[in-house]
Amino acid sequence: MRVFVCATILLAAALGAAACDEQLSDLTGPTPNLTPTFSSIANDIFNASDSSGRVGCTQCHTTAGGRTPPQGLSLEPALAYASLVGVASRQRPGMLRVAPGDPDNSYLVHKLEGRADIVGQRMPRTNGPFLTEGQMMVIRRWIELGARND
Amino acid sequence: MMWLQAVALGAMVTLAGGPAAVFAQDGSSDGAERKPAPAADAPAPAGTAAAAQEDDPDMDPNPAQPDFTVVNLPTTLRLPRHKSAFRVTHRFARPLGSGDFGSLLEDFFGLDSGAQIGLEYRFGLFRGTQVGIHRTSDRTIEFFAQHDLLRQDGERPFGLAVLATIDGTNNFRDSRTPAVGAVVSYQFGELGAVYASPMYVNNSNLLPEELVDDNDTLLVGLGARVRILPTVYLLGEYTPRVGGYDPRVNLASFGIEKRVGGHAFQLNFSNGFGTTLGQIARGGIDNDDWFIGFNISRKFF
Repeated sequence: MRVFVCATILLAAALGAAACDEQLSDLTGPTPNLTPTFSSIANDIFNASDSSGRVGCTQCHTTAGGRTPPQGLSLEPALAYASLVGVASRQRPGMLRVAPGDPDNSYLVHKLEGRADIVGQRMPRTNGPFLTEGQMMVIRRWIELGARND
Repeated sequence: MMWLQAVALGAMVTLAGGPAAVFAQDGSSDGAERKPAPAADAPAPAGTAAAAQEDDPDMDPNPAQPDFTVVNLPTTLRLPRHKSAFRVTHRFARPLGSGDFGSLLEDFFGLDSGAQIGLEYRFGLFRGTQVGIHRTSDRTIEFFAQHDLLRQDGERPFGLAVLATIDGTNNFRDSRTPAVGAVVSYQFGELGAVYASPMYVNNSNLLPEELVDDNDTLLVGLGARVRILPTVYLLGEYTPRVGGYDPRVNLASFGIEKRVGGHAFQLNFSNGFGTTLGQIARGGIDNDDWFIGFNISRKFF
């Protein structure tokens, strides 16, 4: 009987393992539906402002109304992937805007995190609010996973 | 996971109305001839129950395995039925290699620094089965249960226990990390014992699974305790992660321990602060950063 009880405890612990993870939405704060996919990032980050007061990137990086986007970078959902992934940065020609699999060498990450090597201002250029740490983790994860057009 | 909390709470409640034989050790430094002391004004226990208690080999001191943990890893020492034990773990946060010797001395070897403190209570639910709770000051709560399957004797060449734990951050509200594993021990007479503890730790990575490659850790804890004097031991343990999530470095600890009756006073040095299995799976800080710490444990039998 005792062995049975102990075995039950062990088994229950093993079975309970699946439901114990932290929720992604706990990290992504003002964009609770954000996931590490391109469509989610394009819609929730590039193309939308959020409750923190951060402005959407397409307020400037857009071709709407015949505008020429800064640095030729349009972040509208239909155009963003082709503008970012595997494309050399105009400000830092030695770097790709998004280097699939390598967030640390992706200029997009440098610009959003405001690293010392960027040219011009940290994005968004409104001087904050910037992307939260959780939002940046999702963008970095999307790049780590190969920056797929998913 | 309410069942585990219920088990732990049940154990607490049982203790609250528990046996009068706690604090019954004689305090002799050699740990020999320890018997439950009769409470002066307590009624005589029923003969059968008292005889069973006295015959319980789990009550006998084990000089090779004097405690339920080495530094952080479990041993196969059995906790007698309806008896209990308490442990304090303390890991000071100042790396011993930080700054020059003068500043280390000014900080009294790190003892002036903050610390990660753990409080642990375990209870013998059945013969060979113990459950417990361990809380560390980073607000992690761990529940654990261990069942000893084999005791090393003339017929069996080693001891074997299985255990399950689950720890949760933010007072068990956030990320929870269950683990299952076994402890294999080999005693060298009364000289000491060595341990190997293969463990599977689920959700060792505290980030959501969408953001990580590995969310589980397979580790093999290795430990040893050597008796250098009748009541003094040297001990050490190393916990290599052999698969899955393995950030930073493998947790390692060593120390010296003095036993006084039912107490054990252990001074230890570790390359990290981890004391729960989830924390151990997440590894130590750095192999260049060592931290002084201590464990104090007390058996209530």
